[in-house]
Amino acid sequence: MTVDTEVKTAAADIAALIENTRELQQAVASEQAAYEEKLKRREARDADESKMFRRFKIKDIVFLAVITACMLVTSAIMPLLIHVPVFGIIQLGLGLQFSVFPVIGLMKVRKAGSMTIMGIFTAFFLVMMFPPMALIAVCAVVVELVVFAIFRSYKSDWACVLAGTLYMPLTVPLLYLYYNVNYTVTGSENEAVSMFLGATEPWVIALMTLAVVALCFAGSVIGMVVSRELKKAGVLKK
Amino acid sequence: MTFFKFKARLYPLVAVAASLFVIVFGLVAAREANMSYYLLGVLAWVSLFGCVKSCLKLLPAFVVFGGAFAGIAYASAGGDVEAAISMLNRFGALFLGVALSMSVEAVRMTRALSQVRTPRALTLGMLIAMSFVPMLKGEIGRVREAMKTRGAGSVLDPKIFYRAFLVPFVMRLVNISDTLALSVETRGFTLGGGLYSIYKKEYPALSDVLFVIGLAVGAALTVVL
Repeated sequence: MTVDTEVKTAAADIAALIENTRELQQAVASEQAAYEEKLKRREARDADESKMFRRFKIKDIVFLAVITACMLVTSAIMPLLIHVPVFGIIQLGLGLQFSVFPVIGLMKVRKAGSMTIMGIFTAFFLVMMFPPMALIAVCAVVVELVVFAIFRSYKSDWACVLAGTLYMPLTVPLLYLYYNVNYTVTGSENEAVSMFLGATEPWVIALMTLAVVALCFAGSVIGMVVSRELKKAGVLKK
Repeated sequence: MTFFKFKARLYPLVAVAASLFVIVFGLVAAREANMSYYLLGVLAWVSLFGCVKSCLKLLPAFVVFGGAFAGIAYASAGGDVEAAISMLNRFGALFLGVALSMSVEAVRMTRALSQVRTPRALTLGMLIAMSFVPMLKGEIGRVREAMKTRGAGSVLDPKIFYRAFLVPFVMRLVNISDTLALSVETRGFTLGGGLYSIYKKEYPALSDVLFVIGLAVGAALTVVL
């Protein structure tokens, strides 16, 4: 075979390959166009700040995770608090940090699901310290439903404050489970502890719940003030 | 075969599940007469499976806080030794559970979660939340150092705390998270459902089965005997 023939054969092969590629491209052209259109629509939706249900970006997830880490560092006292049989002591100990940081998180990532994501991250770690507190993820979902029912979105700063205020107090009913299973039912010696510290008195329950709500509200307002200040300084970019 | 190897380190998901079991069982069965022996057995058992370091790290905290709360329980129960032992058992179970979960490295946990098809957003968040804690301590130290340099005064003063600590601290958090996000994106990390490779996979081994059986048998004996 001469060199000429070889070159011709190779050229023919390449031409056939190009033709084949074109045919394939034409076959999927409509699907490709539809996919690109879908991507454009998605991008436009994500860019629209007024929309509540937008896709999370990596930087959103990273920020929410960092905020969760802050909450976790400051919640290291929880393993000690759970052994103090005073109603609401866990919430009172964690209320401030569990309202300041979530509000900062929500004011940067104003998307549906932000609170739930923080709740899931938090639950994963709290379950190691005190299993019933893992239900904080459920509380986060409830908080979001309440906020959406009232404000429709996190666009308003007060929506973030409401979410921060309700987040920790909603875990108060979980204590019922703990005190009943672990302190009241399991033994007489713990009844003595409960009576000593007044855990079963209704007025203690009412006052502690009020104190937790007030603390979380104060924390949420602090979070909002910090976020506004950072926003003004141009640090809290979206 | 990988399964039949004895691994000194536990499979992450087994470690977390075992940690939960020890905490819950410890809290519920704290009054059992044999609970203290069970917890001592668990301490030896987890030490065999590569949790010695985390147990030693938590031991001083257990002695201090467990002792203090046992003392409170003893005093409040009118000198009842059993109440003190129950409280000590609860703390013991809690600290053993925490030691178990602390022994799992963040990277290994992320790999194990990725293998079981956990959404990428969650594994990324877990990884960051777990590995960010030491960094956070460093940042707190730096902000406090800056406060000292500026002669800002005591952090216990609410105004100083807000102006000189909280605002700069959150500012640092925002900057760090932005840099971290950029770094993650540069490494090709996406949140979509795209395929990805896990180069070093985590598999449960026979040692994990042995570990779980040991814990379960111990718990059963504690209740039955």
